[in-house]
Amino acid sequence: MPEDLILDMNGIWKSYPGVSVFEGFDFDLRKGEIHCICGENGAGKSTLIKILSGAHSPDRGTLYFEGEKVENLSPHSAMQMGIQTIYQEHNLFPLLNVVENLFAGSEITAGLMINTVTMIAKAREILEYLHSDLSPFDVVGKLSSSARKIVEIAKALIHEAKVIIFDEPTAAFSQVEIDHLFGIIRKLAQNGTSIIYISHHLEEVFRLADRVTVIRDGKKVNTYAIADLTEQKLIRDMVGRDVSLFYQRSRLPIGDEIVFETRHLTGNGVRDVSFSVRRGEILGIAGMDGSGRTELAELLFGVKRAVSGEILIRGKKVRMKTPLSAIRHKMCFITEDRQSMGLFLRHTLVRNIPIVSYTRTRSPFALPADDMKISEQYVGELHIRTPSLFQLVMQLSGGNQQKVVLAKWFASRGEFFIFDEPTRGIDVGAKEEIYRIMIELLKQEKSIIMISSDMPELVAMSDRIIVMRNGTASAELEKDDINQEAVLKHAIGVAS
Amino acid sequence: MNLRNSSRRENGPIFFALLATIVVVILVELIFVRGFNISKVAFIKPRNIANVLMQVSTTGILAISMTFVMVSGGIDLSIGQMMCFIGTGMAFMMRIAALNEWVVVVLGVFVAMLFQVLMGFIISRTKLEPFIVSLGFMSIYKGFTYLITNGSEITIVGRFSFLGGTYLNLTDTFRIGMPVFVLILLEIIMWLVLKYTKFGRSVYAVGGNENAAYLAGINVKRFKLLVYGLNGVFVAIATMVLLSRLGTGNPLIGDGKEIDVIAAVVVGGTALSGGKGNVWGTLIGVLLLGCISNALNILGVNPYWQYVMTGAIIILAVLLSYFSSLSSSSVKAGSRKGDSGEIKSALAQ
Repeated sequence: MPEDLILDMNGIWKSYPGVSVFEGFDFDLRKGEIHCICGENGAGKSTLIKILSGAHSPDRGTLYFEGEKVENLSPHSAMQMGIQTIYQEHNLFPLLNVVENLFAGSEITAGLMINTVTMIAKAREILEYLHSDLSPFDVVGKLSSSARKIVEIAKALIHEAKVIIFDEPTAAFSQVEIDHLFGIIRKLAQNGTSIIYISHHLEEVFRLADRVTVIRDGKKVNTYAIADLTEQKLIRDMVGRDVSLFYQRSRLPIGDEIVFETRHLTGNGVRDVSFSVRRGEILGIAGMDGSGRTELAELLFGVKRAVSGEILIRGKKVRMKTPLSAIRHKMCFITEDRQSMGLFLRHTLVRNIPIVSYTRTRSPFALPADDMKISEQYVGELHIRTPSLFQLVMQLSGGNQQKVVLAKWFASRGEFFIFDEPTRGIDVGAKEEIYRIMIELLKQEKSIIMISSDMPELVAMSDRIIVMRNGTASAELEKDDINQEAVLKHAIGVAS
Repeated sequence: MNLRNSSRRENGPIFFALLATIVVVILVELIFVRGFNISKVAFIKPRNIANVLMQVSTTGILAISMTFVMVSGGIDLSIGQMMCFIGTGMAFMMRIAALNEWVVVVLGVFVAMLFQVLMGFIISRTKLEPFIVSLGFMSIYKGFTYLITNGSEITIVGRFSFLGGTYLNLTDTFRIGMPVFVLILLEIIMWLVLKYTKFGRSVYAVGGNENAAYLAGINVKRFKLLVYGLNGVFVAIATMVLLSRLGTGNPLIGDGKEIDVIAAVVVGGTALSGGKGNVWGTLIGVLLLGCISNALNILGVNPYWQYVMTGAIIILAVLLSYFSSLSSSSVKAGSRKGDSGEIKSALAQ
């Protein structure tokens, strides 16, 4: 191991039930360098953080820290060794002030008493080092997002961090705040702290990095010195896969009639989004995590109300006040998180499947015989594998659970389907079944809006793609323009 | 393979527990108290059975609507004190304000419903815990009760005795009181509501997963108002039954009733987390607790032991459901572990 390496990972394997994330992952980090990690959603970036912070342990592979082999890393021992992680979400106590947060769990004591004077002095010293005008007595809950990041960095410094991992630190930052943060990060690196910086904003990567490692499908594609790297190269490495190996959907003639349309839709973190969907068409919505895709879907389905802009169905203006009004306009929403938003896990299939169909009539009655008939019909049509209609949904596999969600919406006889991450967490075979079901819907002249982080899936399935970035539609791609590189370019904002 | 096959008998265990309790009580009385003379066993005498049914009727009525509240994921601790408030209030209106009985009935139901809808409004529009909100209302009702009565009871002897004082004489010793018929009637109506209406489906859906229910087009806020409003109507009915039977508006008329009712609902198989339970299970729970309390009387046990028994039974019921959920989830976790183990060994090859 060369002298200047602080961290060296070799042949790391990690799998979770049903999916393997790392398949022989290699990574090394030099002392005092800023090392950026790039990869698509789900490439393995967050698993890397989890392993380095000791939250999850790898199945196989070796990890050296300062030349010594590390085994059984726990969150506590990782922090003691000097690996600090600054997560996307804040890990601070909002009701405590800055000093209390900085020293939470590691208070400086004099005998049994907490030595407040020393702690305040030390906090001042570190805040000064970070060029921050925060007072040690500011209550953290009242600080802005960027100020809280500073507090987290200060906390890492108090724990004498040798490696600091930043996970998407600049979400909701202004340009000035970003510049300030970058200044701090460079200063830390110059003073010998090693930085791992994870971001899908390529301009940040090119501004900050000394070296860049690209991850794809749980493997390192390449590590570059920043001078050797171009945007083209980076994007090609991130995408990599050949779509032609992916599911080949049959192309059907798409109607000319625009059945669903939004104009300048704004609200819920989404700005000025306009698009249209034709009969029998799949409109894909691409974008990185946090770009406003799910938020857009929530507006369309009336989960959140739009501030301005309009939604039109067959040219008629409609208002989506609640999910119920969306359902009455024949909309269906297959949510990203099916377990907490889509299913009644502790209930049987026969109690899950007919639930939306009740909205079809105004009658106050719901007959068990009808429930059985509807459930039986869709269990059959969608090939849901279950021993009985009285099976609890929590006892089904992920793929079958997703089909129960679909059955629920099919039973409502909807026409416009919003699929949010329809194949997340289900196995390959079940994925293909879901795709086939989607094509069946098109044959019945229904329309689909499909949100997905799975780029090959989105590219293979969509007739057109809207790319979201920072809460707005940054591009619309059609037919021959649809390819992974183009989508990714618009998603991370380097398109010329 | 027939998808309609169902081996689930939701009320099986609790029904078995009721039968077992009855058998044990009879055996204990027969062996230790009556010296093996079956004809002397008081527990199964028609008069006693009629008595038990009469005694459980109020709790039974309250427990029906509490089942709705709890299956849909809520709870209401205020019902006991609300009974005191409504009960003394009705007695006050009949005696002191000398209003017509039927006017008082309408007013009683209306006020109970109004207050419950108010509580439902607070609970449904905010993220406040029903536990705390209803605790607040509990204290408010207690205050109202003492403001009305000043701590003394208001007798209405001779008036409003139709509900409590009417009996159907089946034999000389076996006569069923009107409250029992009210209970049975409400039981059947609410069973049908739960089974054959969309409102009934919503009860399970909202209790099972409120987010999913909302996204499935259920107006969750309005639904909660309805459930709590319904609960108010049931509290008013139960109050009238008890008031009519006792003939007096005692400020303690419903004191502690919430414990008995919630105990019966929980023992009857309703999950505190919501989404699971039914009115027949609750009725069996009511009967089970009623039998035990009656048996302790007959066997000459110090009546204060009843509190201890009731508490022990609640904890036992919750423990049993805890262990059954534990065993089903551990089976799942085990199979998951198996899965990842297979993947690991596959990767190792």
